[in-house]
Amino acid sequence: MRFVAPGEREAEERAWVVARAAYEEREPVTWPRRHWQPLVALAVIAAFVAAALSPPGRSVVRSLREAVGVKEAEPALFSLPARGRLLVTSRDGLWLVRADGSKRRLGHYGDASFSPHGLYVAATRANQLVVLDPKGEVRWTLARPAPRFPTWTGTRADTRLAYLSRGRLRIVAGDGTGDYAVGPAAPVPPAWRPGRVVVYSNGRGAVAYDASAHRRTVVPPAAAEPSIRRRAGQSEVVAGDRVVFRGTGVFDRVVASPDGRWLLVSWPTANQWVFVRTKPRKIVGVARITQQFGRGARVEDWCCAVP
Amino acid sequence: MAGTGRDERAWVRRAQAGSASDFEALFRAHWGPAYRAAYLVVRDTAAAEDIAQEAFLAAVRALDRFDRRRPFGPWLHRIVLNRAIDWARAWALRPEGEAVDAAAPERPERDDELLRELGRLSPEHGAVIVLRYLLDYTPGEIAELLELPRGTVNSRLRRGLDALKERLE
Repeated sequence: MRFVAPGEREAEERAWVVARAAYEEREPVTWPRRHWQPLVALAVIAAFVAAALSPPGRSVVRSLREAVGVKEAEPALFSLPARGRLLVTSRDGLWLVRADGSKRRLGHYGDASFSPHGLYVAATRANQLVVLDPKGEVRWTLARPAPRFPTWTGTRADTRLAYLSRGRLRIVAGDGTGDYAVGPAAPVPPAWRPGRVVVYSNGRGAVAYDASAHRRTVVPPAAAEPSIRRRAGQSEVVAGDRVVFRGTGVFDRVVASPDGRWLLVSWPTANQWVFVRTKPRKIVGVARITQQFGRGARVEDWCCAVP
Repeated sequence: MAGTGRDERAWVRRAQAGSASDFEALFRAHWGPAYRAAYLVVRDTAAAEDIAQEAFLAAVRALDRFDRRRPFGPWLHRIVLNRAIDWARAWALRPEGEAVDAAAPERPERDDELLRELGRLSPEHGAVIVLRYLLDYTPGEIAELLELPRGTVNSRLRRGLDALKERLE
């Protein structure tokens, strides 16, 4: 059967741009490494199997399984447990994940965040701040060196974006106009507080800037946001002064669902994401994250349902 | 058009070594069949594009581990068809679905009708018919690709064809 599907040629060119970018960014494995890796893996497996056959070995295996990763994790992200959409970055680019688990690659971007009502996404390229819609269409760009950590605030009608570029905090209107530098900033994500105040670090401590009055102001008390702390080979998620989840290795990010009832913990040591609900308590693990999103997968934002 | 087995092995080998032009040859040879196969199961151009694109990204990620003695096409088609089936199932379960892409290919009327009815089969039946009659795999190869018993493939082919015939008569 001879048949050309509708949109095939246009889709081919779009997909080729994405596939070529992914190919160019991969790190080819050199010939010797490709061959010694299986040998090392075989040796490790043989040692592991030998150890596991002994009673102490069986105990080690059991505790390893218990220690890393949520047991009976879902093999894929079939759906989100709450409304909203996720932004996920990885070495494959920026992904938008819908509540039903379907996902769309928006392109090759770095740090990203949703606008206050989820109508737009701000993301970064090597020397560009980019705002795009959830379909991946670029709405505007601003050429700035090495932009990082774009963060929105505002209303549906009037928004502001704070971001870092070449060691300075900058602010730009949501339509890409009126960009200006605020001052030197350390490479830490800035955070908006009510009243259009942005809090950032200048390397010596926290600084607050009132973007309406264009002056520095008193640093407002931090909102009680969930955080991660590390101790003795373990990571803990703390919410409301309480440890709500603990695991072996490293958690690299925790974000809250739009309704605040769920936390999403990114756990690279276990190659899992863990959704945690505190009341009533429920844990949902999702395994094989790198296989689904690519290496270095990181949750950037969890926002509003559908604009 | 897909290259010969020898072409393909050479493209894979040189793409593994870092040749972008050989990776492009591999991509160009396989994009059409991958996209068409996905489209015929999901009947949605955006979903077909996402599915085929994700399959190629998976191919890039797995390129260094890929066994050059194995053919590339079946490996890619397995990813595409499994994802297309998952997508079609998930879509069918949605309480309120968006309208699927209604754009029709520029082909004679009979082909249009056949393709439309093919898209209305269950994803499982549609997938085996696409593999058998569009991508020219044998039932044995389809069984291997979709990790199904040979008998299941044959029965799905039979039932799918019967359903198509009934709808087209």
